[in-house]
Amino acid sequence: MGLLSDNDAQVLRQHLSAIDTPVTLLLFTQTIGGSEGGPVAKQVLDEVASLNDRISVVEKNFVLDTEDRARYAVEREPAIVVLRNGEDTRMRFLGAPTGYEFVPLVESILIAGTGQVELEPATVKMLEAVTSPTEIKVFSTPT
Amino acid sequence: MAFSSPHITATAVEATSFMDLSRKHHVTGVPKTIVNDSIEILGALPEQQFVETALQPAG
Repeated sequence: MGLLSDNDAQVLRQHLSAIDTPVTLLLFTQTIGGSEGGPVAKQVLDEVASLNDRISVVEKNFVLDTEDRARYAVEREPAIVVLRNGEDTRMRFLGAPTGYEFVPLVESILIAGTGQVELEPATVKMLEAVTSPTEIKVFSTPT
Repeated sequence: MAFSSPHITATAVEATSFMDLSRKHHVTGVPKTIVNDSIEILGALPEQQFVETALQPAG
């Protein structure tokens, strides 16, 4: 059974239709001894990807794919790395993106797939001034 | 922000699944934002205020 109702899937498909550039969701999970969130994350991503041909899910083995882990600085699993046309967008998710985490996931897919970000001009100006590595973590809970 | 700046990485962390990280950053309420392991923002702020706080020089 799907996580999304038919109605939600329909609405989401409509939103995702704005995507014009391929989006790849790299999912790092650990098959043996991994967290409970791994299979849930996979189901969520698979359902979203099924709604738009330009969205694909590529699974990475958290234990074995050490090169990719290093490339995207993935230290925990499940982790999702959002790529636009194969390029890192620097948008990441740690844990299964359910509940309140689901909307940010969809938003990040839309940003990656459309190249459109809704930020105020003043924000854009401040972001242009950033020249050193900046790591932002936003903690939230699914409910 | 991450998409708009090549220097910024943004990670949404599901707090209950990563208790070690939550403890490390004293996450007692959500949303809580941590920038470069030093700046803390509790709650949701208006965009301008959030960006100004997040990008302030660490100190």
